[in-house]
Amino acid sequence: MHELPQNLVNGLLLGATYGLIAVGYTIVYGIVQLINFAHGEIFMTGAFGALSVYLGLGSGTSMWIAIPLMLLGAIVTSTVIAVLTERLAYRPLRNAPRLAPLITAIGVSITLQQLVWGFYPSAKSPRVFPSLPGGPFHVGGVLIQSADIFVVVAAVLSTLFLAYFVRTTRTGRAMQATAQDPDTAKLMGINTDRVIVIAFALGAGFAGIAGVAWGLRYGEIKFDMGFLTGLYAFTAAVLGGIGNIYGAMLGGLVLGLVQNLTAIYIADIPGMSQFSSQSWSSVWAFVILILVLMVRPQGLLGERVADRA
Amino acid sequence: MTDTLQIRPEAAAAPKPAIPLPTAAARAVTAAGAVLTAASAFLSWTYSSQFPGDLTLSGYPGGLQWITFTGGLLTLVYLLVGYGTPGLRGLAPGGAEGTTVILAVGAAASTWFTLIAISVELGGLANLTTGGWVAGIASLLAVVGALGLPRDGQHPQGHRLGALLYPGKRPELAPAKRLAPAFEVGIVLLTLAAALGVFAYGVDTSYAELFAGFLILAGFAAWALNRSGDFARLGEIMQRHRVLATVGAFVAAGLFPFTQTSSNAEANANLGVSILIFAATALGLNIVVGLAGLLDLGYVAFLGVGAYTAALVSGAAGTAFNVQFPFWAAALLGAVVSGIFGVLLGAPTLRVRGDYLAIVTLGFGEIFRIVVQNLDGTSGPNVTNGAIGISNVPDLNIFGFDFGSAHSFGPFDIGRFANYFELMLIFTAIIVLVFARSANSRIGRAWVAIREDETAATAMGINGFRFKLLAFALGATLAGLAGTVFVHVNYSIVPDTFQFAGPTPPNSAFLLAAVVIGGMGTVSGPLVGASLFFLLQAKLSFLHDYQLLLFGITLILFMRFRPEGIIPNRRRQLEFHESQTEDGQEGPTPELRTAEA
Repeated sequence: MHELPQNLVNGLLLGATYGLIAVGYTIVYGIVQLINFAHGEIFMTGAFGALSVYLGLGSGTSMWIAIPLMLLGAIVTSTVIAVLTERLAYRPLRNAPRLAPLITAIGVSITLQQLVWGFYPSAKSPRVFPSLPGGPFHVGGVLIQSADIFVVVAAVLSTLFLAYFVRTTRTGRAMQATAQDPDTAKLMGINTDRVIVIAFALGAGFAGIAGVAWGLRYGEIKFDMGFLTGLYAFTAAVLGGIGNIYGAMLGGLVLGLVQNLTAIYIADIPGMSQFSSQSWSSVWAFVILILVLMVRPQGLLGERVADRA
Repeated sequence: MTDTLQIRPEAAAAPKPAIPLPTAAARAVTAAGAVLTAASAFLSWTYSSQFPGDLTLSGYPGGLQWITFTGGLLTLVYLLVGYGTPGLRGLAPGGAEGTTVILAVGAAASTWFTLIAISVELGGLANLTTGGWVAGIASLLAVVGALGLPRDGQHPQGHRLGALLYPGKRPELAPAKRLAPAFEVGIVLLTLAAALGVFAYGVDTSYAELFAGFLILAGFAAWALNRSGDFARLGEIMQRHRVLATVGAFVAAGLFPFTQTSSNAEANANLGVSILIFAATALGLNIVVGLAGLLDLGYVAFLGVGAYTAALVSGAAGTAFNVQFPFWAAALLGAVVSGIFGVLLGAPTLRVRGDYLAIVTLGFGEIFRIVVQNLDGTSGPNVTNGAIGISNVPDLNIFGFDFGSAHSFGPFDIGRFANYFELMLIFTAIIVLVFARSANSRIGRAWVAIREDETAATAMGINGFRFKLLAFALGATLAGLAGTVFVHVNYSIVPDTFQFAGPTPPNSAFLLAAVVIGGMGTVSGPLVGASLFFLLQAKLSFLHDYQLLLFGITLILFMRFRPEGIIPNRRRQLEFHESQTEDGQEGPTPELRTAEA
């Protein structure tokens, strides 16, 4: 059982990354009730944007200079793509029945994936992502990579920034108002179109940060890494209560823990020894999701809301 | 004022033609263009026989020349309809001129596609001979002439190029006169035969250029027939002879293997049966998505459950259970097991809001693939033979009829895939029957009510959860049923078939796209959508690397411009264009008005 602390840490780190992506799902869903399936791909393009910046800097650049620029590159790439898809694909369908934008989202997701696969230089196989210097550090028997520190710092700062932004700024309050009741918000003089664009951009920015974090932790990025990761992140958002920003973070952490711990400890349950490998962990993640939905359909932190007809 | 002094309102509103020509001259130019286009098919288009189809011979049109010929001929026919030729006048109740424009453009597009393909593949325009130039110029001439014809549709205002070239919206149709019943039956049979012919030709196209040319002309022809009002009229007649039309459609489909006599017959039958399986599965999904409005993103997993169940009891080597069920039992078992999975998955998730279902089904689709991959003996108990899958699934043998070998029926040799085609056709008929019967029953109306507004439906005494679960389980059952045939046709089954999105159907994204782009809530929509998607990916294999990209872009564009699908359900069409009518940009079309009433 000595590896428990290590697994807890690993789970929380994975969960923090999920949480960063889940925030994007939850903000957009909270405001336009759209499951933005393409968000996983936004995360992926962010990682590729960061890689492009790194490759453009030349090999001699110190990582301490490169990292902020890569972050910027990731955020700009994913934000631009997210805003463009909102403008071109989703906005024309604002008043269409719900299925239409969902199908569009699937189309956007496939399109972005294939664009990167087909047109990013040698992206048909995984591309090596730079790693942070220093580390690993031993903290009381737990091994921590320098990328892990980046993940923690990024997740904490992002969540704090988002909480500040949504609570105190005018735009943040406009977002809350639009999420509660778009029609009334419009009557109150809020430009809801602008709010929606900002929601997409905010989520995309976080996804970009998550993309850098992912690349730093795993050392490589791939054109289809957004699909499953996005799926887990959305699961995390649902788990935490979709529409709730803190819920997204919490859901991410819970999901990361579940995936890491089930991979190790399911084997200790008698008769389940074969079901504990890494390949089963996604199964357990979804089992947890279904269990949570049965017991608490609104998610961990969600409020029960009346169906909007 | 007397009637004679008044200018008839439609005459006053009729806009000028895009190209100002005297009507007689325009007709003459169009006719000359169309005739020359059709005739050019009999000339030689290129020097080299390297271009597929051999377009070098005079007097013997090759594949793409037949396409041009058909295009020219169709243009000519509708020009004559517009001229008021006796016997043809009834062919264009919605106006022949707009139709002629569309057909002329279609003929020109397919002709120029051929010319460009020749130039690109053989290296330069120098490879075109006189015949090719005649075809190209004549087809353009027909377009110019057609644009000079008086306009007969509802046209948008303005002088932008788009507004000038747009062939007009179909005006309101006058109620049709009923024809003699025998005549109507004849029309139904003729339509079915034509549909079979077009489909069989499309499947039999042996090279990508021919298929692309065929698709271009077919697309324009379909638009033209919609514009001319022929489709609407045919729809009315089909509606009056619904039983005949349905039975006839299945007979026509059953005749499909008999139309394939070329050396590619087996490959084409394989394509046919794959299309049928894909279409039948899409139809099952249509119950879930189209009728009940539940978004299922992992539907292909149910096909997989049925397929794996059937494979496990087929006696194939390497499976965990060494049993061989008769096929009827295996099919039933596959359907039932799949249905049970549907209930197990639906029961916890259908109680909560609809959006969660999307993620849970998407998760289920992935889980199914992962689980099946893991049940290989090392990372789980050995049930499904892991990533290698189950191979050597034996051929079926029903009542002594061996599906694995060819049989002769008179002059026709019916091979292995054709046998399965006929079997799958029976299954498809069952699925169509289930779909149609449930859609037109109390259950179907409850589904539609839930889809439209669950709160209101519940207030009307509909148990939302029960009906949603029924739709979900029924959809799963039907997919499982299709899966049992799927595994026998393909000899083997591997987990990788059941992805969310992949380059080859069936996968969940393709199934959903077939339903949505075909037309949600209709029987024919998913069938058309599935055939189209399957043929596209099978025939345009040269696009291999960009197929998925095009697929994604198609989804986006379709949702943007025709969210109701190719064959729209009337209620849905109304729903999607609600905002436009409110804004006054576009008045409701006549059908919508009747649907509203």
